[in-house]
Amino acid sequence: METLNITVNGEAIEAQIDPNTTLQKFLHDTLGLTGTKEGCGSGMCGCCTVLLEGKAIKSCLVLAIQTQGMTVRTIEGLADGETLDPLQKAFVEKGAIQCGYCTPGMIMSSKGLLEENPNPSEQDVRSALSGNLCRCTGYHKIVEAVLSVGHR
Amino acid sequence: MVRTEEYQYLGKPIPNVNAVEKATGRGKYCTDMELPRMLYGKVKRSPYAHARILSIDTSKAESLSGVKAVIIGDETTCPFRYGSGLEDEHVLARDKVLFIGDPVAAVAAESEEIAEEAVDLIEVAYEEFPAVFDGDEAFRMDPPAILHEDLKNYKTIASIPPRFSENRPNVFNYFRVRRGDANKGFEEADQVFEDRYETAMIHHVQMEPHCAVAMLDEKGRIVVWGTNQKPYGIQRNIAEARGIPLSSVRMIIPAHLGGGFGGREPKMEQIAVSLVLAQKSNPRPVKVRCTREEQLSCTTTRARYIVEIKTGVKKDGTIVANDMRLILVGGAYSGSGYLTARNAAFGPCANYKIPNFSLDAYGVYTNQRPCGSFRGFGNAEALWGLECQMDVIAKGLNMDPLEFKLKNCIEEGDPNAFGERMHSVGGKECLQAVAEAIEWGKKTEGKKPHLKRGKGIALGNKYSLAPSASAAIVKVHEDGLVELRTSTVDMGQGSSTALSQMVAEEFKIPVSRVRVLNPDTDITPFDQATVSSRSTFNMGNAIRKACQDAKEQIFALASRELGVGPEELDTADSRVFVKQDAERSMHIRDLFIPMVLAGYTLKEGGEILGKATYYQPGVPTDPDTGASEKPASFYMFVAQAAEVEVDIETGKVEVIRFVTANDCGKAINPLIVEGQQEGGVLSMGIGSSLLEEVVTDNGLMLNPQLADYRIPTTLDCPVLSGYKGIIMETPHREGPWGAKGIGEGVMVASAPAIANAIHDAIGVRFHDIPITPEKILWALRAKA
Repeated sequence: METLNITVNGEAIEAQIDPNTTLQKFLHDTLGLTGTKEGCGSGMCGCCTVLLEGKAIKSCLVLAIQTQGMTVRTIEGLADGETLDPLQKAFVEKGAIQCGYCTPGMIMSSKGLLEENPNPSEQDVRSALSGNLCRCTGYHKIVEAVLSVGHR
Repeated sequence: MVRTEEYQYLGKPIPNVNAVEKATGRGKYCTDMELPRMLYGKVKRSPYAHARILSIDTSKAESLSGVKAVIIGDETTCPFRYGSGLEDEHVLARDKVLFIGDPVAAVAAESEEIAEEAVDLIEVAYEEFPAVFDGDEAFRMDPPAILHEDLKNYKTIASIPPRFSENRPNVFNYFRVRRGDANKGFEEADQVFEDRYETAMIHHVQMEPHCAVAMLDEKGRIVVWGTNQKPYGIQRNIAEARGIPLSSVRMIIPAHLGGGFGGREPKMEQIAVSLVLAQKSNPRPVKVRCTREEQLSCTTTRARYIVEIKTGVKKDGTIVANDMRLILVGGAYSGSGYLTARNAAFGPCANYKIPNFSLDAYGVYTNQRPCGSFRGFGNAEALWGLECQMDVIAKGLNMDPLEFKLKNCIEEGDPNAFGERMHSVGGKECLQAVAEAIEWGKKTEGKKPHLKRGKGIALGNKYSLAPSASAAIVKVHEDGLVELRTSTVDMGQGSSTALSQMVAEEFKIPVSRVRVLNPDTDITPFDQATVSSRSTFNMGNAIRKACQDAKEQIFALASRELGVGPEELDTADSRVFVKQDAERSMHIRDLFIPMVLAGYTLKEGGEILGKATYYQPGVPTDPDTGASEKPASFYMFVAQAAEVEVDIETGKVEVIRFVTANDCGKAINPLIVEGQQEGGVLSMGIGSSLLEEVVTDNGLMLNPQLADYRIPTTLDCPVLSGYKGIIMETPHREGPWGAKGIGEGVMVASAPAIANAIHDAIGVRFHDIPITPEKILWALRAKA
């Protein structure tokens, strides 16, 4: 076991972890932040996307211990109390959510994009989300939702 | 087409009622479930496609620290076979294994890692047999392998039983349709066209892995949570497999399910395994979750299909005869594929007016993963053949394919191939709408000489199952909130939202004042299954009747207070009022009286609890001719048009424009209907046409990872301006508010629309999907 110090959604956390624990498992199983979903466990679906130091990454491909001293933002850290982040609001209102299993990862990838590029083109959005799979929506309303926030 | 009747809540694009919890990460799925002292299960699978189990040694696994239970298939763990309509499957293989991945043993342990290690320690000795994977070979009278020697003695279901073949031992169901005289029709025809089409095996790729959690409650009763879309079907399957009454099984579907598409209903492996393990580890619950690789390589799929078709036409483009043979290249167990094999016939039977029609549909066993359902239930595959054939014929007759389809497409009152008079038929209007939107007949050019453009069009329909039954209960709480108890599973398609809107409309209360309970066989009443696009229609009708029942109870109570007859009352915004004098009113709360030490009660009648069943019996099909006045509940219609750009240097096909028009009867929620159209077309339609294929070598899946089994990404779909979804509303006389359904009727025309567009672009006809760049380059080379 090793000691991990990490800031998750603004909260400083110290935990004893098995060094082979992935960041996804640490967030989902240990901290109970179940919004960070596992879809494949091998970086191919994007369901587990979180922001690590502000950048969208797939948390199943990172060992928790590699994030020593870093800050992580998960889907649970996006809303301010009951006030949704503009991206969450847009996903809800535009009908961009069906089964919702890809949604946390999709929103976090979109967040990562907007932090770098607040005014993305449709092509920018499609490129940024190309590593996040969704089987329900055909991405149409997802792309619309992200653009509606970006264009504000 | 959209009718203008004014409803308060119906027909409105209300956001999904579950969206906020999904957007915030609060929504809990089965895979998120944790129970105190929970164990984790893993399945040991067969490495052989067809073999006898000689011995299983579990001793090393059992002695591994952390292992709590090891089970194999025997008299105690798997006493009976189960199935959707044909009981051909054990929870764990008992004698023979029939596919690579067939479960032979399972382990429950303190962690998934320990369970996985233990599974590797189980030693199984096999005697390998010849196997059969190819559909044509499996279908033979002397196939290289027979999977179920005892098939004819298996138990079958009474309603729509499977029919076996006298001389084809791997056929698990056979269905035939005969109308008019096809041979005579071919004699009368000016031209006869004959061809064969195939589809690849594809997977649903639901984003949430299959998962189940099972435990025994304090009294020893079975409680199971699962990622399933048919709670009452699974309850029956568990009872069948265990030989116990249905009432001794409690099946719960968690509030959120990460995608279905048909793949959440047929095989109950995780459930069954977790359950047997839980019985052995009692009182500790057991969770069994598929890895992505297991899900892709071992669970149900859309099976391969072989479609042979012969069509006779007059010079003027009138279809006079059609003869088809459909072969579902099934797996080791029939699952719901027993019914797919029959019901794939419906699409071809109801697309066109064809006086002489003959069809033979088969399902055959092969040594591959079990059959299941997939959005479209065989109809996308059958219509892939039919709609390519129609394009070939039109072009062969020098007719415009659109004109040819409009001339022959079935319309209101026309008999279909079952002899049923069609009702609520929006096919023609859908064809006209997509043709207009895609600027049919107007040729556009690619920006460079190697980019060839073309347009294609296809017509489709999707029946919904009969007989069909749904029950609903609504409870009116004292604050006026209406609770809906239904076993419809919301797996993302938005049923909770649409059904809430129906309740809201009946009670004239906002959707936020309706609460939908998640399916739980102890609490929510019977529903056949969330399949076949049947919920809006069947559950909708049940809900409407249940709401009326509850309102009658409210009006009976309120009539005494308000001093008028119940028939003079109505309700809105949780108040009851006199229709002729709305000032005379009371709040629903005032029907209740406050009680000391507690809340509120009614003085009589217990609760305001409306309940109802909607039952659509249908009419059984004649075993020799398929004839029936009502073989299905209703038909959804769809037309789709695609414009593609084919790069003749790389073989890459880009769908640059796609238009779909879907006749759903009445869009209860247009936002949801659009979502179904977009997902059906852009993910599954394009994916199945151009990208997706389960690649196997002697039954072993070679691409069981999402990097190799490619579903469309954001970059594979047309840009926003390149896609259009049109909602058509042809009301159905039996539908609630005229509504039919949507989900399954979407992708049934996508592949032929795209293939017909590719033909228009480069003059090459493809007979099998997916149409990959390799196939295009080879075909272009052959043509040159």
